Amino acid sequence: MSASPLLQLHGVDRVLAGRAVVADLNLSLDRGSVLGLLGVNGAGKSTSLRMIAGVLAPSTGRVLVAGADLREHPETVRRQLGYLPEQVPLYAELRVMEYLDFCARLHGLRGAAVQHAVANVVERCDLGEVRRRLLGNLSKGFQQRVGIAQAIVHDPALIVLDEPASGLDPVQAANIRALVRELGREHAVILSTHLLPDVQACCDRVAILHQGRLRHDGPLHALTTADSLRVVTTATLDDTKWKTLSCVQSAESADAAWRIRLVPDATPAQLAQAIVANGWGLSELRAEDAGLEQIFLRIATAENAREAA
Amino acid sequence: MSGTLILARTELRRLFVQPLAWALLAAVLGVLAYFFLLSLQAFLALMPKLAGSASAPGVTDLVALPLLRAIASLLLLVVPLLGMRTLAGERQAGTLPLLLASGLGDARIVLGKYLGLLAFLFLLVALALAMPLSLDIGTALDLGRLCAAALGLLLFAAALAAIALCASSYAQQPAVAATVALALNLVLWILDAGARYEGVTSGFINYLALPTHLEPFLHGLVATVDIVYFMLIAAVALALATRRLGASRRRG
Repeated sequence: MSASPLLQLHGVDRVLAGRAVVADLNLSLDRGSVLGLLGVNGAGKSTSLRMIAGVLAPSTGRVLVAGADLREHPETVRRQLGYLPEQVPLYAELRVMEYLDFCARLHGLRGAAVQHAVANVVERCDLGEVRRRLLGNLSKGFQQRVGIAQAIVHDPALIVLDEPASGLDPVQAANIRALVRELGREHAVILSTHLLPDVQACCDRVAILHQGRLRHDGPLHALTTADSLRVVTTATLDDTKWKTLSCVQSAESADAAWRIRLVPDATPAQLAQAIVANGWGLSELRAEDAGLEQIFLRIATAENAREAA
Repeated sequence: MSGTLILARTELRRLFVQPLAWALLAAVLGVLAYFFLLSLQAFLALMPKLAGSASAPGVTDLVALPLLRAIASLLLLVVPLLGMRTLAGERQAGTLPLLLASGLGDARIVLGKYLGLLAFLFLLVALALAMPLSLDIGTALDLGRLCAAALGLLLFAAALAAIALCASSYAQQPAVAATVALALNLVLWILDAGARYEGVTSGFINYLALPTHLEPFLHGLVATVDIVYFMLIAAVALALATRRLGASRRRG
């Protein structure tokens, strides 16, 4: 059993109101890794996570946690799970400590273990200064942190976070990402987001959902490695001039810059040397960020091409 | 402590840290106290006439019984308001996933919520019963009969709480849950009024109505059939609520 991945999804489908929200989803996740589930709004991210957390049953297919089927052993499986839903489930009228105490007990902790776990999670999520405050009076950032604290208080093997950094300011978001990265060392973490920086900051694997289907599942670097360069020169150029350089495969104008694709085996250093040698006044040269939009476009284009073939 | 009791305890705590429960408690006890003093005054005015008759009704009949009936009528209105938030409130506030994703099963979630609500109602009934019991200082009460009435009121409250919880499990908003529970309570309360008007007192329709089973308790009569009736209502309502929670996992 130790050989099998912690989380496995086999052919999971979910139909809501006659529409397939998630179709034929297959995923697996091991302890010690962070999987980012990327997708635009309505891609089926939250539905997938709700099914993994056991809040929603799949229409067909199986969800296995540590080899146990969520449908057959719902209660034992759910104890190994920590779940932060999209809307943080807080009781506004309770105090932070009271709430975390309740969550710890709800997830099966008893006696001295409760105090220990709550104290631990308060420190980990940096909630010390608000421990006596009412949840309803906390800022969005603190509420989000209490939501994460709630998901990890019972030290679950699998942590499911639905948009953990949504609605936070950049500093808070960075803190949350650091926390997620830390959690990913000992636990298996799966998080959803529509922001690529979230994934780049804390995930080692990325899965892309588009219209309910899994379009990509692999290590992060394979996805974001740039295959083109962004170049800005002081001289006004056209693409015929670029073609004169032996290392350039193609050049297209993008805004005030040029998007340059190199021939195989050529390096950016060769391109820089060539530009300087021609006296074009190189002012900027960097790897182009593969934004989420481009990744989706790439996926969609690849798909259309496949359908056409 | 099991998960069910932890949920019940938190449910009770949440009731007490919010104004609704306090306001309802104050309103109910205020109304009952006024009613109690009125019937006590009427009894004191009537006492000289009663003293002459050998089989005259006592203080239990003339003061305690009307008060017990008033408690029952107020429960019909108050329980839907107290129970409306149990599940519909969680659904509206987005906190239901916390419970659904925990190791607790649907039945234990429903039971925990129910026990929390029930604990509050028992407190309410106990405080209300303290009023007629206070008469025991100056006069002789029929304590056996008051005990039977207390048991009847608790069973009655238990059935109403289950109905409120069931309505709350189906509704998306607490206000809808309260309205539906109130409508169900009133229907069960007046169900056999027409039949009784026509002189039918032992038909099936009489069996279904709430007052048929509450009145014997108030008169000091504890019968298995009445206990079973209230427990049956509670069991059916809780089973339906559990089913609804299970269906929300399947239907989304």
